[in-house]
Amino acid sequence: MKSAAARVLVLGGFLAVPFVQTNGYWQHVFCVALIGVILALGLQLLAGMAGLLSLGQAAFYGIGAYVSAALTLRFGVPFLFAFILAGVAAAVCSLLLVPIVRLPGSSLAVATLGFNIIIYLVLLNEDWATGGSFGIMNVPAPRILGYAFNSERAMYFLCLFVAAVVYLAMERLVHSRFGRALRAISQDEDAARACGISINLYKSKCFLVAAFTAGIAGSLYAHQARYINPYDFTFNKSIEILIMVVVGGLGSMPGAVAGALIVVLAPEYLRSSGELRLILFGALVVVLMGFSRGGVAGLVPALGQQLMRFRPSRPVKATSSGEPQ
Amino acid sequence: MSAQQFIQTVIGGLAIGCIYSLIALGISMIIRATEILHFAQGEIMMIGAMTGLSALWMADLPFVLVLAIGMIGGGVAAVAIELSVYRTLRSLRVPLINIVVSTLGVSLILQNVARLVWGSEPLRFPNLFAKHGIDVYGFAVSPQLIWIVVLGFAMMVLLQLFFRHTRLGVAMQAAAQDPEAAQLMGISVRRTTTFTFLIAGVMAGAAGVLLGSLFFASFNMGFLTGIKAFVAATIGGLGSLTGAMLGGLIFGLIETLAGTFISTAYKDAIGMALLIGVLLLAPSGILIRVGRKI
Repeated sequence: MKSAAARVLVLGGFLAVPFVQTNGYWQHVFCVALIGVILALGLQLLAGMAGLLSLGQAAFYGIGAYVSAALTLRFGVPFLFAFILAGVAAAVCSLLLVPIVRLPGSSLAVATLGFNIIIYLVLLNEDWATGGSFGIMNVPAPRILGYAFNSERAMYFLCLFVAAVVYLAMERLVHSRFGRALRAISQDEDAARACGISINLYKSKCFLVAAFTAGIAGSLYAHQARYINPYDFTFNKSIEILIMVVVGGLGSMPGAVAGALIVVLAPEYLRSSGELRLILFGALVVVLMGFSRGGVAGLVPALGQQLMRFRPSRPVKATSSGEPQ
Repeated sequence: MSAQQFIQTVIGGLAIGCIYSLIALGISMIIRATEILHFAQGEIMMIGAMTGLSALWMADLPFVLVLAIGMIGGGVAAVAIELSVYRTLRSLRVPLINIVVSTLGVSLILQNVARLVWGSEPLRFPNLFAKHGIDVYGFAVSPQLIWIVVLGFAMMVLLQLFFRHTRLGVAMQAAAQDPEAAQLMGISVRRTTTFTFLIAGVMAGAAGVLLGSLFFASFNMGFLTGIKAFVAATIGGLGSLTGAMLGGLIFGLIETLAGTFISTAYKDAIGMALLIGVLLLAPSGILIRVGRKI
């Protein structure tokens, strides 16, 4: 019940944003933040749940954006179909990763990074399909059942709706048989295999779902920015998504939301500091990494505990032992 | 293409490969000792290039001295970061992934500090080498490339000797293989970790001066190069030093040859495809199976 109240509160907060902040630029920024939320949720499933460190999410994001933009612009496909097809196209491309899902942790990270670079180079060099370094201009605004999402505010609500649906879907997924299997894999692969979980199948499915999520985020981005070029989908973006997830707290869906908001909004708020902006942002990332074991999601309960000192304290978990680092 | 051009391309590839090897060595050493994927290694290289270049601006130094100053710059930067950031994070006992992400934060900080200090324009190194080619068995080869290859190989040989024949080197190997057992044998693992970062930084600093003298130095020269060195280290087998050297040389050669013979636009893609292909055949890289020995 408590969590239901918290959710209504958070959703209410999100709904109020475009009414409180009427500046068009900031509404645009918040829109980008919500797209970041969708991306972070997708990677949270991979990295947080299944323990698969992927640095290739921006590739699927880019595939989704280009497919959606090309379909609506060149073939006049309605937005809703293009949106779904963007996700599907990204998911289909994720099948290319099936052979490498069995790689151990750091190798998987570097291999997915390599995949990202390949996709980026394809977007950059195949001018006939992607417009090369100029990208695709004049992507139409989304139009659903005759209603055109022309304004920043309408676009914000569309992104919010998609982000909320993705959030709920991820939550269902995490608590399903599939989610339990993923957590088992992340904790102990051999034990999970002994329990009859087909490791590579589950990992591939996980990549598939995450790629679909990134694909639809890409579609939203293409129609929100109205202009895409390959530089939006470099591995820097993948790294940014990883920072979102780890800042928010690995394994926590609310954490992914908070992390995405921090990573997108903090540099915007720091804009007034001019050249120091990215230095401060980097320092913020470093400091947040040391602050708490579970990212921002772990920080909030910790603060809560600090505030609720009068309660009998729970026995401290043995966190200071183990892990010789 | 004439044999002349082919030889030039191969030596160019070897030179670039040596530079990747030097960075990849640091990355591999750090992974072995701490399991950290050090994404800021490319930035350490950039700091090395920048300090070397600054020294050159102040005095007209011979190349070897510039190289030494770049190495010192890289080493100091790496140790400073290890002591201030990574050691603090380790003592807070945060999960490994937090430290890995903090290296991304460090990389962002270093890039932008360098942008403030040295500006955002690419800076050209003054010409340090004789312009006309050296005659090698009837082929004219740029002396700069020869220097890079010779210096790169010399440094790698020195590193191997250091790990095999000095007390500190053996202690570092022991600490990397089994920190607890090493500690029981009286090795200070904290100290060997600091030395690991020092040597990794020195190697990266050297790579920075070599790369800068070959092309130019700029605040963002590090990140992509660092990523490529990562790929090279992964091809060789993350954590294997010989693997990192071989991986770097192979990656540099393939990249240069692919750029010349197949497609300039896709040379990076071919390198990455090589990576994925190698990992499919040998999931831990080409050399890790030989054993955990450095």
